[in-house]
Amino acid sequence: MRRAATFGAVAFALTAIGFGVLAEPGLDNGSVSGLSFLGESVTGADIAAGEALYAESCASCHGAELEGQPDWRRRLDNGRMPAPPHDETGHTWHHSDRNLFIVTKGGVGAIVPGYESDMPAFEDILTDDEIADVLSYIKSTWPDRQREFQAEVSANDKGDL
Amino acid sequence: MRTATMEFEPTRRHFLSMGASAGAMLALPGAVRAASGITDMRLLAFDGDRLLTASETLMASPDGGRSWHERPTPAPFSSIATHPARPGRVLAGLAQEGVAVSDDGGATWLRRSEGLAPGEVTAVIVAAGNPNMFYVAIRGDGLWKSEDTGKTWSLAMDRPWLDEAERDPLALASVDLETGMGGIWIYAGTEKGLTRVPDCFCRWQDVQPGNAMDALVTGDAPPAEAPLPSDEPILSLVSAPTAPSTLFAALPSGVWTSQDGGVVWAHKAKGQGRAVAVHPTDENHVVAILDGNLKLSRDGGATWTTIAVA
Repeated sequence: MRRAATFGAVAFALTAIGFGVLAEPGLDNGSVSGLSFLGESVTGADIAAGEALYAESCASCHGAELEGQPDWRRRLDNGRMPAPPHDETGHTWHHSDRNLFIVTKGGVGAIVPGYESDMPAFEDILTDDEIADVLSYIKSTWPDRQREFQAEVSANDKGDL
Repeated sequence: MRTATMEFEPTRRHFLSMGASAGAMLALPGAVRAASGITDMRLLAFDGDRLLTASETLMASPDGGRSWHERPTPAPFSSIATHPARPGRVLAGLAQEGVAVSDDGGATWLRRSEGLAPGEVTAVIVAAGNPNMFYVAIRGDGLWKSEDTGKTWSLAMDRPWLDEAERDPLALASVDLETGMGGIWIYAGTEKGLTRVPDCFCRWQDVQPGNAMDALVTGDAPPAEAPLPSDEPILSLVSAPTAPSTLFAALPSGVWTSQDGGVVWAHKAKGQGRAVAVHPTDENHVVAILDGNLKLSRDGGATWTTIAVA
């Protein structure tokens, strides 16, 4: 997609082996069948890059297996909510690509003004392409039902970035 | 699964109450009994064309509130809800703990509390798009959800955070307006104002005009807002099934209404508001408990008349 050359061929090959179980690369340009982000196709390299970035920047709160923090529906002592899971047990797949991108880049306050969250805005930490890769990786882990639901939510979200 | 058909589960309090009621029944004609029972009611709901009112007891009126018939209750109610697509189904939150469900307008009840946290159920609602999906708020705990008419329950979300503390929802409304996340909204009235959460339960948030994301991107000036008073508890909250953006709320200052999903509110009736209900097929047909009286409006709250209880 946007940053296919960022990671080396070796890393791509290693990750693509594992990813093949989840999403099927099926197009000549390496795009993953049935997966897109913000209307653009997603490649195995994007997902591999996103997985690495997720491990670096997100897993400490959202969990190495995207499982979220324990008891994530219960508020913390500081009044804020714990980091939710990004797998199918959470609510991430209810949000459009645009919503996920804006929240990741600008923080939750970017869509819910005044909302206090422990999650930082990543606009000074990750590039737009890197944010897209992370979210593409997260999407690639979802079962068909959640992925189809989220694709419809994204299709109905007509807003701009 | 702990479910049982119940007629009554009398406690000592019920026994004494029943004894006192029996004495009254011997002395008073039926209409007077009904009228005296209405005055201390705190809850209202339409079940089809029938009007329900409840507190310690449940009463049903087939004629718009002029006459009432008492129904059995498994325990004192703290909240009730119905669904326009399922006449006869009544979801009741119980004052001590748990919920009860009736599918025959309150003639018989099933307890549906397995897996639900203990504590007073402060508010209940049936999902606007699914009469088998229930949400209940438990005092000091959170918002719970059942997708199978109460047979099983799971925690949906902690309580809303308003004015630096968690607040118990005192009233819930399933508002059939799109969240943009593939679902609809659940509104909660608290002692510190109104809040809402999408039914994916990502986060409680203020009621905002339009689409907050679009406003952010375009830089448009936000529309005017006129929220409910934040220093009064919201005791009752309903969304009209025929016009979901039309909301009614009962507060100690009276009855309020919004035509835009809760952004701009107008004070429609002054007095001690306690409960409000809107007819399932007519958003202008509203009944409220105001200053202890049953009030009727057929014009969306613009004018009110007192219902004379026979």
